[in-house]
Amino acid sequence: MSDAADPHGPYETLRHQEETTIAGMWLFLASESLLFGGLFLVSLIYAHTRANGWAAGVRHTDLVIGGVNTVILITSSAIYTLAVEAARQDHKRRAVQAAMTAAALGLVFLLLKAFEWSKEFKEHLFPGTHFAITGADAGGAQLFYSFYFLATFLHAVHMIVGTGLIAWICLRAGKVNPGKSWNTSVEIVGLYWSFVDLVWMILFPVLYLVGRT
Amino acid sequence: MTETPASLFPERSYLWQDGTLRSWLLTTDHKRIALLYLVTITVFFATGSIGAALIRLQLIEPGGMILSDETYSRMFTMHGIVMVWLFLVPSIPVTFGNFLVPLMLGARDLAFPRLNLLSWYLFVASGLLVLYGLFRGGLETGWTFYTPLSTDYTQGRVLPVVAGVFLSGFSSIATGVNIIVSIHQLRAPGMTWYRMPLMLWALYATSVIFVLATPVLSITLLLLAFEHIFRVGVFDPALGGDPLLFQHLFWFYSHPAVYIMILPGMGVVSEIVSTFCHKPIFGYRFVAWSSISIAAIGFLVWGHHMFVAGTSLYAAIVFSMLSFLVSVPSAIKVFNWLGTMHGGSIRLDAPMLYAMGFIGLFTVGGLTGLFLASLASDVHLTQTYFVVAHFHYIMVGGMVSAYFGGLHYWWPKITGRMYPEMWGRIAAALIFFGFNLTFFPQFILGYEGMPRRYATYPEQFQVLNVLSSAGASILAVAYVLPLVYFTWSLFKGARAPGNPWAATGLEWQTSSPPPTENFARTPEVTSGPYDYATLDRLNRTAAEEAPHV
Amino acid sequence: MGRIFLCWSMLLLLLAGEIVATQSGLDRMICALAVLMVLIIVIGFMKIFQAPSLAIIFAVAGLFWLGVLLMLGSLDSFTRTSFFTSGLPVSHWPWQSV
Ligand SMILES: [Cu+2]
Repeated sequence: MSDAADPHGPYETLRHQEETTIAGMWLFLASESLLFGGLFLVSLIYAHTRANGWAAGVRHTDLVIGGVNTVILITSSAIYTLAVEAARQDHKRRAVQAAMTAAALGLVFLLLKAFEWSKEFKEHLFPGTHFAITGADAGGAQLFYSFYFLATFLHAVHMIVGTGLIAWICLRAGKVNPGKSWNTSVEIVGLYWSFVDLVWMILFPVLYLVGRT
Repeated sequence: MTETPASLFPERSYLWQDGTLRSWLLTTDHKRIALLYLVTITVFFATGSIGAALIRLQLIEPGGMILSDETYSRMFTMHGIVMVWLFLVPSIPVTFGNFLVPLMLGARDLAFPRLNLLSWYLFVASGLLVLYGLFRGGLETGWTFYTPLSTDYTQGRVLPVVAGVFLSGFSSIATGVNIIVSIHQLRAPGMTWYRMPLMLWALYATSVIFVLATPVLSITLLLLAFEHIFRVGVFDPALGGDPLLFQHLFWFYSHPAVYIMILPGMGVVSEIVSTFCHKPIFGYRFVAWSSISIAAIGFLVWGHHMFVAGTSLYAAIVFSMLSFLVSVPSAIKVFNWLGTMHGGSIRLDAPMLYAMGFIGLFTVGGLTGLFLASLASDVHLTQTYFVVAHFHYIMVGGMVSAYFGGLHYWWPKITGRMYPEMWGRIAAALIFFGFNLTFFPQFILGYEGMPRRYATYPEQFQVLNVLSSAGASILAVAYVLPLVYFTWSLFKGARAPGNPWAATGLEWQTSSPPPTENFARTPEVTSGPYDYATLDRLNRTAAEEAPHV
Repeated sequence: MGRIFLCWSMLLLLLAGEIVATQSGLDRMICALAVLMVLIIVIGFMKIFQAPSLAIIFAVAGLFWLGVLLMLGSLDSFTRTSFFTSGLPVSHWPWQSV
């Protein structure tokens, strides 16, 4: 693998390309943080203007599943970081193994999430005419659950994309000589994966903890 | 810039190197992607214009000429959505931005060429979705999609349109990321920040808005779609939800988006004014930083769209004062352009006519914005034709003029052909005249109280409405003209030299049209952006050394 | 390797802290712990300080504009004194006690 970049591409060296790609990913993540930022504005406002109903909603979420899922995501992100380190030291095999473990944990997260959702559907916690929580705070609780389902859905979509990206990484590793640009890809996907984890670190307290007692 | 222009002329051009359709559709060359975008947004511009034409036809008679009330609502919605998201927002950044950023930086391509191509496909998909929704029934919400109208009451096709706009957002973000990262990372040796042409500063500022405001639109539309599909959502007042929250989220994007729709135009005008006055831009650093500060302050003012919506007085006062702040950097730009023109020997070629039109119309649009930023006068003027006239002065008088100016200015570089100068001037003059005739009466109409978004109006407003419609028909002719002579010039126009306007800037140092790799050698920059002294000296030496014929 | 393990255990500890804080009803404490967790991920997993300096600029810009969105976006709701369909009008900032 030589250090010269593609002569038709915009870069002089591979190092330059790598640095630029990483910076670009960070910029994209800054953009993503504003995507979730709009959601958090909604929760910030309703959690205060509709505090009682909102808290009633928080009390109905399943803290056990949420907590276990948080542990899973933290672990998954940590293991993927191991993959990034392994790729940096050109241990391709170790990198792929770690990445696949991280993706598997991501799938476990999604499965648990799906189970949680189906439980909530059965308990009539999806907003609508047969909503389970009644009384004066029913409106606020419905607002909470609208937020809950949309936020967890959006997060789950990011998880699915992330899992797909990791799968792509692992497939590319099978090619004869993935080379330096592969290491960069591993790193980029790692940034994304950790970002998804990071979003959950905020979603978890907002959906399960704040206002519970 | 020490390279003599001739030494950088390579042989093959990007246009003809590989002529197959496949090579165009799979290209990662920023110049070809710019052309793909150019064709695409021209189609959308025409579509949106048809909506405008029908609106103006309808309003010739007080009782309405041709459309039912409902169709009228669907028509102005179609006009708004297509023009904003499928033409104005992408317009200059995706065409000239794509084409010029690498050329102006002295680079071979944008930082992420494949992402660039992806953004075009996303844009085409989004355009098709929007058009599908609009032609299979359309919707009557206006381009702002206010809830609960868009969620509970509309009979129209909200979902495909919202999905289309949602997709176009990702296309914008991709373009924004590409431009920002390219400007940071791909500047040629010697190209410091203060040696960059002002166009790049403007595109950088625009891209900041693309990247940081567009995601908020995406999430807003997602919330809207959620509410529309399940009929229970986050903005529903029956549940204690706050419909104004939708407006806050929407305008957090859409006010900065107004600057997406003007900042690139300011960049184009800075280039044109400097070139046709043959002078460096007066107060270069002020103009550069005013772009950045317009983008930054633009995020802080959105509440002025909601003064009468029932927001708190406290918030309204804060947003009103912040809105006044934006006028400062805008005024800096106008005065610096005038300062550049002062004492210059101005050539009145078509691009310069457009640029001068821009300065005048933008000033009118900007000053009338102050009436709307003031709480007291906004209560009287909001939701009237005054607002319509105000933002058309900025977006059409400003941005579309700048777009056409840029198209004339860089046409020789893009295609390698000159357009017919005489026709260019005629079209520019017609656009200016037609535009003012269309929209100036609307200021008066609005001041006298004619509300916007109605299919009919009291008889006392007819004269001004007929004038406005007459102006629109002139404008229509004036927009068709360039389409005709640009197409003609592709086949019959004179061959363009590398630097037909005697302009500075790296894009003029390569051939017209440029080769695929942009420059035969990576250029090296040794002086500031508008260094006409060096350019003239080089030209003189070249002329002396040339053998006499 | 060791560093990652350290970050991982700190995250788990903080998570446990969050749960404890929830049982005691210390909402602000939960938020503070969540911010700490985010910081650990950004520094420990995403390695922002080893990234090109541009990355830091972008991250700071994103954070700044996130702040603008949350602060200016909630300004109206937290200062509105009329126009409520149900419940009491709210005229205080979230961090002030009623
Ligand atoms: Cu505005």
